[in-house]
Amino acid sequence: MITLPTLVTPELQQRHGSRGRIIALFGGVLLIIAPFLPWAYSARALDDMTFLVDPSPLQYLGLVLGAIIVAFLVLQQVLKPAPRRPRTACVPGARAGATGALIYVVLILVSISVELGGAVNVMYGGWVALVATLLAFVGTRLMPTGRPPTLAAATAPAPLEVLAIAGLMAAALFAAAYALDQDDAGIFVSFLAFVGAVVAVMIRSGVMGWLSAVSQRHKKVLILAAFLVAFMFPFTQDGSDANMSIATQVIIFAATAMGLNIVVGLAGLLDLGYIAFLGAGAFVAAILSESAFSTINWHPPFIVVVLISGTVAAALGLIIGSPTLRVSGDYLAIVTLAFGEIFRISMNNLDGEDGPDLTNGSNGIPAIPELNFFGFDFGIRHELIGVPLGRFSNYYFLLLLVIGLIILVFTRLNNSRIGRGWVAIREDERAAEAMGVNVFGLKLFAFAGGAFLAGVAGSIKAHQDVSVTPDQYVFLESAFLLAAIVLGGMGTVLGVLIGATLLKLMPEKLRFVSEYRLLIFGLVLVLMMRFRPEGLVANQRRQLEFHEEDEELADRISDEIAETGTVKGAT
Amino acid sequence: MDVLQQLVNGLSLGALYALIAVGYTVVYGIVQLINFAHGEIFMIGGFGALAVWLLFPAGNVSIWMLPLMLFGGVVAAVGVALLTERFAYRPLRNAPRLAPLITAIGVSIFLQELIRLFYGDIPGFPDSKRAIPFPQIEYVTGPAFNMGGLTIQRAALFTLVALAICAGLLYVFVNKTRLGRAMQATSQDPDTARLMGINVDKIIMVAFALGAALAAVAGLAHGLRYTNVDFRMGFLAGLKAFTAAVLGGIGNINGAVLGGLVLGVVEGMATFIPGQFGGSAWKDVWAFALLILVLVFRPQGLLGARVVDRA
Amino acid sequence: MTQVQTTAPTTDRDAPILAAENVTMRFGGLTAVDSVSFRVMPGEIVGLIGPNGAGKTTFFNCLTGLYLPTAGRVVFNGAVLPPKPRKVVQAGMARTFQNIRLFANMTALENVMVGRYCRTSAGAFTSIIRGPKFRREERETRERAQQLLDFVGLGPTTDALARNLPYGDQRRLEIARALATDPKLVLLDEPTAGMNPQETRQAEELIFRIRDRGLAVVVIEHDMRFIFNLCDRVLCLVQGRALIEGTPAEVQSDPRVIEAYIGTGPDSDAASASEQDRGRTDA
Repeated sequence: MITLPTLVTPELQQRHGSRGRIIALFGGVLLIIAPFLPWAYSARALDDMTFLVDPSPLQYLGLVLGAIIVAFLVLQQVLKPAPRRPRTACVPGARAGATGALIYVVLILVSISVELGGAVNVMYGGWVALVATLLAFVGTRLMPTGRPPTLAAATAPAPLEVLAIAGLMAAALFAAAYALDQDDAGIFVSFLAFVGAVVAVMIRSGVMGWLSAVSQRHKKVLILAAFLVAFMFPFTQDGSDANMSIATQVIIFAATAMGLNIVVGLAGLLDLGYIAFLGAGAFVAAILSESAFSTINWHPPFIVVVLISGTVAAALGLIIGSPTLRVSGDYLAIVTLAFGEIFRISMNNLDGEDGPDLTNGSNGIPAIPELNFFGFDFGIRHELIGVPLGRFSNYYFLLLLVIGLIILVFTRLNNSRIGRGWVAIREDERAAEAMGVNVFGLKLFAFAGGAFLAGVAGSIKAHQDVSVTPDQYVFLESAFLLAAIVLGGMGTVLGVLIGATLLKLMPEKLRFVSEYRLLIFGLVLVLMMRFRPEGLVANQRRQLEFHEEDEELADRISDEIAETGTVKGAT
Repeated sequence: MDVLQQLVNGLSLGALYALIAVGYTVVYGIVQLINFAHGEIFMIGGFGALAVWLLFPAGNVSIWMLPLMLFGGVVAAVGVALLTERFAYRPLRNAPRLAPLITAIGVSIFLQELIRLFYGDIPGFPDSKRAIPFPQIEYVTGPAFNMGGLTIQRAALFTLVALAICAGLLYVFVNKTRLGRAMQATSQDPDTARLMGINVDKIIMVAFALGAALAAVAGLAHGLRYTNVDFRMGFLAGLKAFTAAVLGGIGNINGAVLGGLVLGVVEGMATFIPGQFGGSAWKDVWAFALLILVLVFRPQGLLGARVVDRA
Repeated sequence: MTQVQTTAPTTDRDAPILAAENVTMRFGGLTAVDSVSFRVMPGEIVGLIGPNGAGKTTFFNCLTGLYLPTAGRVVFNGAVLPPKPRKVVQAGMARTFQNIRLFANMTALENVMVGRYCRTSAGAFTSIIRGPKFRREERETRERAQQLLDFVGLGPTTDALARNLPYGDQRRLEIARALATDPKLVLLDEPTAGMNPQETRQAEELIFRIRDRGLAVVVIEHDMRFIFNLCDRVLCLVQGRALIEGTPAEVQSDPRVIEAYIGTGPDSDAASASEQDRGRTDA
């Protein structure tokens, strides 16, 4: 990606543009045909790609990518540019499609080679697909990009727009269900590449711009649809707990990350001991639960426990925050880190030997009973409209509510006087103070508020996990939370959700990397800070910033093209 | 007598912290970066020393191994420190402050895991998550000295002597050499130093290398003292050493040495806290509590920080 | 809320809005400001000039409450200022910065809205449930911020990020942000530094319009022509002392001012150099 722009100059594109189109078109059509050929010699690789004429699901996805490329190339010819009509960026779309398809096919071929032991196991269909994507890649690179898309300005009848949102959400649901069903790492990775390719196509062609404009217009519909989809997810699992267990883990993780996102993403306070607040909530809930190992003989109803857990966590946040929030931010990072250690050591020591017996030391508190709301037992299987829903589904629904609440708090505060104060502090603390912003108060509020939310999440986690031990709440977990935020995009909701999901899901699905999991994780943190510090999903403000640059660049390029174009026309 | 014994124990522990703390303070003084991965540099110093020992025929515990091991540890630690500086931190020099800190966490985890991957693949490294036994070199380890009821471990004495020598060399380097003076100038005002013809990039590299070399000495001392090394040992030691650096006044080299010794003594004396909270199980908690107290009441540290908050 | 009427100057027209009485500031053995007295009336533009190292910044920091004077006192609107920037803003004194300190990644409008922070009070709860108080305040804040942007001539750049604005616009945005705190007095720290002549003229015109709204303005500047055009009165500090205070015409024609600026013997050079040194160690 870095060397390509210098390799393919605008002049080259101008000269070979039409040839490029033909090559790309040929590649696209070939990619549509290739899935009907056998790709592998053995059915053991991926999802059985040995048949002639009968493509496997993954091969169908390759076909879809081919169709996308061809469609954009044809569309570019059909759609004559009109001054007022919103523009679809066909060539960038096709280009993203071709790049994505290339990565996709290469990944599949690598998977086949790895799973069967050697590239000889790739059958001719696979090589045809590779050639097809290579042709499409080179061809689209040779074509001039044209002007940037203005699709975002397009409007469609409201029902159509709502339908588009619904379609998007349904696609997301199916994609999630399909991905979670895959036990084969090769299929999982290939599928992720496919999803990435489709998203890239949508962004490049301007469809994503239109979709985000539409979602802005129908915000309520979007949020409703998103929650509906999340709500529907357990119904696709047919009562199986395997995936639901992962899903609840993901949601707890995401909810905690979202709480930390307030502290780090909005107020700009680097908290490296955040997991301790989750732990504090979990321990409080465990101690106050009716577990036989609980050390306090007071068992209030769960709703009270939730509030106590949050309050205890917030109080810890106040104790740790009030002295340290006045000093520079770097200190805060280390002090919170030290606090995390203090928490872990204390929980280990409060075992009756080295201190009062509160937590049973490193054994923790096991056998925490299932939640029970008004006779609804979370531990047993329930049936709803004929679909069995297991234990994890019950917790999943509850956690969905919690994460919804945390997202609500996050977005509402972000778009308020308090959120503006936080961002101002993050940008320039002294200027914020000089403009009358209560810097210390707001920092403390972010810190304690974030701790409260973590405490609440922890109280549910205690029941979901059945047991609470100190070694669940170590520094590495805090680092993971931070990584989810950094990876996804600080200060964003969608980004952090994606980051948290990726970080929790990857190790579950990619068993073969589990040995190198942390190594990769450390490397990703470093590379992310180096090359894309804004994360996968850029913050609104950052987006604005980048968007402006993009537009400038696009204008310059289109001016250049227009110039060379007229020169050509004159001769 | 008991108090005196704990004082000696604390001082030798503090010497270890002091050696590591210098690295935090020197780097912070110049680039205002908390090099979170410095604890891992210390760990790598220990493993570098071990690796040299493994190169020789098994079981060689002659005192002549010691300089070789020290050399190996220093080379490994300085090499890794310079690589991280060049490829992880330098590109972020003008980035917002959060970025290098997060990078440092990433580097820290990466280095730990990198060392862990060697476990089981190299002779002498057990294929478990257990700590790896460190060779016991003659003269510097062995039976403890006993002086009128006061027990001094040989390795503890070694650490103290190492600190004394290192501190002396450091003093000469910082105050008497051109490079050392350039370093001081850079830490006071990098922009002016640059205008005065000082190669700031080079100075930053020197700071990283200096800290890493001392951390490697600490790594070797740690191996001798605790008779093992472990890929996780940098985390807690690094945290403690940072505490020591803040205690002495971050950016202040003398402060780092003093802070390390004070922190060690405080940990040693924590045994005398009455009741259940006095045991060794709580000494880390007291050390970190001290960090928080210092930040509340004297954020500039014992000897005064060169820079408290430049932002 | 028909017009952008910032303050209803209820205070007595004859009472000074800001009065420094024999303010002295010492750092160790060095006297940076030596018993300077100074008063600003409502609706007045006062200039503060002096060569480098004359103690302008120290005096400025005394005025804004950042330093508590060693001797003497600063009275603002009838009360001694609390030594906390936030409280100073609440009392009605706003400032801009010599080197622009905007919130770079916020939009122009958001920057001004931050200025409204100290005049609003919607808490977390009402913000989360979007209660009536939140909605009213939010609407008012937004309208007010837009009015102020229009006032300083940045109306069309509402949604532009502060960092992407041209230099002159950033200076004006800083003024708008300061005005959003409903000040009675604005302190402008070198408002025309780095501006071209046309931008300087615009700034001058803007400061007049601020004065016309009944606010008092204190300007620190190096640009003599700008100061003498703009101000009703000018105070000239030299080596920590008030050299002269008077109308621009008086100050302009005073031979000591010219001498202080151009310098005479090596003595004064050495003195100002040592002051500069002290300033650096302070910073």
